[in-house]
Amino acid sequence: MKLSKSSIVLIVVLGLFLIYMFGQSESSLEIVDFSVDKPETKTTSIASNEDRNPYYGDLHVHTKYSFDAYVFGITATPDDAYRYAKGEGIKHPMGYEMKLREPLDFYAVTDHGIFLGMVEALADTTTKISQKPFAEPFHNLNRPENMNDSSFGERANLFSGVLRGTIVNPYPYWHPKVIKAWLTKNTAVALKTFDYDVHKSAWADIARSAEEHNDPGKFTSFIGYEFTSSTNVEGGNLHRNVIFNSSEAPIRPWSRIDSINPEDLWTWMDKLRDKGVDSLAMPHNSNGSNGQMFEMETFRGYPIDNAYAEKRMRNEPIVEITQVKGTSETHPLLSPDDDWADFEIMNKRIGSRPPTYSMAPGGYVRDAYLRGLTLSWTRQGNPYKFGLIGSSDSHTGAGAYDENNYWSKVGLLDGTAQARGAVPLTADRVRMLREYAEEYKQPLGISEEEQGTYTAPGFFDQWGASGLAVAWAEENTRDSIFAAFKRKETFATTGTRTAVRFFAGYDMQSIDLNSESLIKEAYAKGVTMGADLMAEGTKSPDFIVWAQRDKNGSPLQRIQIIKGWIDPTSSVPSEMVYDVVCSDGLSVDPVTNRCPDNGARVNINDCSISQDIGAAELKATWSDPDFDPGSKSFYYVRVLENPTCRWSTWDAIKAGLKPRAGLHQTIQERAWTSPIWYIPQEDDLDIIPLAGSVSSGD
Amino acid sequence: MRKRIVIFLIVGFLIYLIDVFLNPDEDNKDIYISDQELTSLITAWKSQVGRDPTDEEIVKIINNLVEEEILYREALLLGLDKEDRIIKRRLAQKITFLKQETLSENPDQEVLRQFYDANKEKYFIKPSYSFTHLFFAKETDSEARSIQALNDLLADKKSIDSDPYLLGKNFTEKTLEEIARNFGNNFIIAFDGMELNKWSGPFESSFGHHLVLLRDYQDGFYPSFNEIRDQVLSDYLTLNKENAVNQYINNVKSEYRIIINPNLKF
Repeated sequence: MKLSKSSIVLIVVLGLFLIYMFGQSESSLEIVDFSVDKPETKTTSIASNEDRNPYYGDLHVHTKYSFDAYVFGITATPDDAYRYAKGEGIKHPMGYEMKLREPLDFYAVTDHGIFLGMVEALADTTTKISQKPFAEPFHNLNRPENMNDSSFGERANLFSGVLRGTIVNPYPYWHPKVIKAWLTKNTAVALKTFDYDVHKSAWADIARSAEEHNDPGKFTSFIGYEFTSSTNVEGGNLHRNVIFNSSEAPIRPWSRIDSINPEDLWTWMDKLRDKGVDSLAMPHNSNGSNGQMFEMETFRGYPIDNAYAEKRMRNEPIVEITQVKGTSETHPLLSPDDDWADFEIMNKRIGSRPPTYSMAPGGYVRDAYLRGLTLSWTRQGNPYKFGLIGSSDSHTGAGAYDENNYWSKVGLLDGTAQARGAVPLTADRVRMLREYAEEYKQPLGISEEEQGTYTAPGFFDQWGASGLAVAWAEENTRDSIFAAFKRKETFATTGTRTAVRFFAGYDMQSIDLNSESLIKEAYAKGVTMGADLMAEGTKSPDFIVWAQRDKNGSPLQRIQIIKGWIDPTSSVPSEMVYDVVCSDGLSVDPVTNRCPDNGARVNINDCSISQDIGAAELKATWSDPDFDPGSKSFYYVRVLENPTCRWSTWDAIKAGLKPRAGLHQTIQERAWTSPIWYIPQEDDLDIIPLAGSVSSGD
Repeated sequence: MRKRIVIFLIVGFLIYLIDVFLNPDEDNKDIYISDQELTSLITAWKSQVGRDPTDEEIVKIINNLVEEEILYREALLLGLDKEDRIIKRRLAQKITFLKQETLSENPDQEVLRQFYDANKEKYFIKPSYSFTHLFFAKETDSEARSIQALNDLLADKKSIDSDPYLLGKNFTEKTLEEIARNFGNNFIIAFDGMELNKWSGPFESSFGHHLVLLRDYQDGFYPSFNEIRDQVLSDYLTLNKENAVNQYINNVKSEYRIIINPNLKF
């Protein structure tokens, strides 16, 4: 289209006039009170426990409002998701029921902020936006007769092909919507595929549902969403979940359309905090970030400094260590001496097509803690002093935490044992896969193995039934649990309801482990998970660990303390795994720091486990045999259960088959606490590292 | 009274005849565009584009509307609306909304009270227990130790040898479900008929043995209608929105006969 000179001048003048009149406004900072008028229910007073209770929850759940979930056949609403968390059964898109063995204490629906609510609107042929030509492939996608796994080809193509082309489809630069987008700093409005009203109302429904289900004293919910960003070229995953600690929240989520730089997300959260709306962001799937979640430099490649470290920690006090798409504690390449490092490793970049290897360094939390120590050694601040949680990232509205009751994550695409690679494919399914590969020009993802034809290994088979977030809080209320997240008094589990305490201090030996006042004294005399332990001269601290098994799970096998430190003179980072207490009356070998084998085994034919082996609880006081008062260090706890069948083994034996070769047959469910950081006294000697290229600070 | 109805019917019939005579349906080729329709289209255009349409654009809007109407009518004449799934779904959706909206926002007291009575179970406040317990960890000869401790308690001894419990010693106003979450399912049997303010046990849990002192017990009860009227109302409205459509379908369903080929092979 050609514009005459005079009309260009007119547009410019008009634009200037509008800016003069209104200026730019930030739509993302408009705050809405989403609280609902709830009928007064007769509640008993909220019981508060000053020794704190462990509350179990999931802070990462998607519903039909996520652009991808809707494509995967999810029709579950946020209300369905919260009902599930409270213990009700809801339907999987394949038709079977999903139900928890015991309800959860808290839950947050965190749909993707980008394109929130839009795919449902494209599919619903009664909406205005569905009348546009690009909406056509989505029309009536989740009609009842299409809710089966034969529709996977159509869905996979929509997800990995059509969607990408659809979302980024801006109006031409002169279009009024583009000006509006610029004026309100709301880039999404400039997209043809975007309807702001649909987007806002989806967000409002998520917020309403969170408000309606929040039940102080009994059940906590958070208004939240996922900031789904990644690096531009490599596609390194930078995803974060954002939750708000109030009924007030912005009118729309800040998404990757606004910026792909997480630092901009923190700026936005800081601004909201100034307006009285507190929030926190939780990075997840660092394993799929190609090493970019925990980098040694900023997003734009500048050196990290104290301001960056403080800003990151202010906004991101906790990180998701485990979820359905693998566990990000550490990697065998990073921790070759840790016998338990090869645990639920998922080594692909998130959302990469075709699946692409994700580099390990910079992608795992133990490595991040060590990097943080290095950065603080060079006086750049420690941006990686975060606590730990787990969550599911289920896209079905319902987290799958149980190896024996597993539906994976992406609805119709992995809702059956054969689709997720646990059992061989039926002949029909192989035919469909061939058709799909041909029609959409995709590689044929199958593999001929001993028991038959499977889906190609290395994708859904790397996913798992994990995890949970646990907060030590006084009461089950939003404020109390949110405060626990901020002080990092949290631990993560791979889905089991293990409970674990962790304290450190210089007078812990004086506490009787069999005393009823153990916890009170430990809080009084020391610090707990997530906190700093300041040096007291050259005194060596003692640690108290105490874990209780999941009454429905496997008994405990051992408690370990994982230590990371940096040599004060050479600055070389190191790590060490210490077994601290063993089950069955066994004792730790002081040379190898290992418990002897307790003899617990799994019968792979029926998944039964050894009876009467393992502990109901384990408890110990421990001191670090290699303690150096001058080393910056961190200590965190890993609790290991006796082995049980992995979900893929359960799937296989339920089908009367042997477990698929190449997959781990059993797993050891586990829990990790947030670390305690030991902070040595700053000596007078001012080390100026890196030949003075970084300011030494004072 | 009857007379009036007869007159009413006759007049009505006459009006109907006149209408049929003046507006024969078959060859009605008039397209009437109401002011309202036009203004709403222009408003929609404005909100999309962000300015008033020019005269040319108004002509275009009207032409579009006219063309759409013509195509629509011609399609009707050809019977293209028949067996179109999207049209069917749209119409079904419309009647669904219609049926949902016919609900009155303020049902009268009696209806609400009946609803409350019928759903009383839902509002039942479960019994709750407040208790203190002494814990004896598994693998420490917990049964014998707990029996010893009970004897010591009954003999009023001062120091009792027990272990700390990770989830604490005192529990306040817990339902049986909550107790099961903290101690395991087997443990709740202990609370059946337990005496107040008296140490009882030992009871076995997933973690060892326990002695329990029940400090307080609240019987389960039904809150009165007036106490929870608001909640009943909101439940009533939610449920009825869902039910209204189902009821309507069930009412008319009997008028339909469903024929499916029993020999169809997939």
